[in-house]
Amino acid sequence: MAIKFFGQFLLEKGVISREALLKATALQETTNLKFGEMARSLGLISEADIERVHEAQRKEDLQFGDMGVKLGIITPAQLTEVLAKQKSGHLYIGEALIKVGAVTSQDLPKYLDEFKADQAPYVVNKVAIPAGVPDSALWEMAADLTYKMLSRVANLTFRLGQCALVQRLDANDTVVAMRMSGSVTALYVLSVSTDVRKSIAKAILKADDVSQESEDMLNDAVMELVNIVCGNIAAKAAQMGKTLEIAPPRVLEAKTGVPVPAGGMGLLIPVHVADGRIEVGIFLDKA
Amino acid sequence: MKKVLVVDDSLSLGRQLSQIITSSGEFEVIGQAKNGAEAIQMYQTARPDIVCMDINMPVMDGMTALRTIVALDKNAKIVMITSLGGVGEKFTEVLKLGAKNVISKPFQPDNVLNILRGL
Repeated sequence: MAIKFFGQFLLEKGVISREALLKATALQETTNLKFGEMARSLGLISEADIERVHEAQRKEDLQFGDMGVKLGIITPAQLTEVLAKQKSGHLYIGEALIKVGAVTSQDLPKYLDEFKADQAPYVVNKVAIPAGVPDSALWEMAADLTYKMLSRVANLTFRLGQCALVQRLDANDTVVAMRMSGSVTALYVLSVSTDVRKSIAKAILKADDVSQESEDMLNDAVMELVNIVCGNIAAKAAQMGKTLEIAPPRVLEAKTGVPVPAGGMGLLIPVHVADGRIEVGIFLDKA
Repeated sequence: MKKVLVVDDSLSLGRQLSQIITSSGEFEVIGQAKNGAEAIQMYQTARPDIVCMDINMPVMDGMTALRTIVALDKNAKIVMITSLGGVGEKFTEVLKLGAKNVISKPFQPDNVLNILRGL
């Protein structure tokens, strides 16, 4: 039901052991060199150059290779050469599991097919993101995953709208936010009316009636939904080569709405429900 | 019946997980800690057979508590619960620290019980 990676899928199915998975990932770590290590192994840069790039990356969010080019340490052609070398020599987890004897090469295609079928519900569908939004592929995935999770985890029935740029989210009964950081920094905001909050709580608590539940429990269910959505966005982002960390969700005081921070960009992911109101916003920090 | 300690700051998730665990009749939930610090304390006093622990919690997160409990008892059977299970690096980091398995959120009851039975 959640987004998984292949090794996790096999462990859950009991095909491989925890120890075999750890052995295979350790083999991957020693085989799959990072950009700097690969460039050094090819004699293109020195240890001191690696330090210089790391130092510069602390001040500017650029990938190692791009920063190396910017600093004049490597040429664009060398950047391409290192990336090609990384790609051609990359040891995938399936191959690593064969090497450590956890699965056979005959069985691997069958397991990959099963994994693909398991994860098919989470293949990203097209969502139009307004022009000018940076990292648009990432936010397209986030919007699509939001829709999928609202439907499958919260059991909500809704109609989609056109994503748009906004300056604020309107006031609503409950607003929950979660900070995401790493390759990008943003605030994920879910605002719901009382009716929608009740529906979410029923789904999260697996209960037909939540009328006796406390305010804390109802808000907690919305926070848990945000946690699940953002965690799975982070998992999907990792598949896209992006790192996202998430902070615990929190309820915002938002009687007058939630403004986008100065210099930031607010992406509205519209969700239209028959009863009540729900809005999803992703507030991108100032670049 | 195996004793399970649930560690999650989320009231709703803690309740849902406890219901799943007890529904099988094979496990008994002996308590719910709301953060890693409470989990360490309850582990030492209640000595559960299994700990199901969230990663992302205030006060003390699950990773810190995992390290501490494994240092206290290298045979501790700890399963981490997270919405970040699909992040391969996070998943293997948790196993390296001594967790026996990871339950990804959203979870399915059968999957939770199979993981606990496999410990």
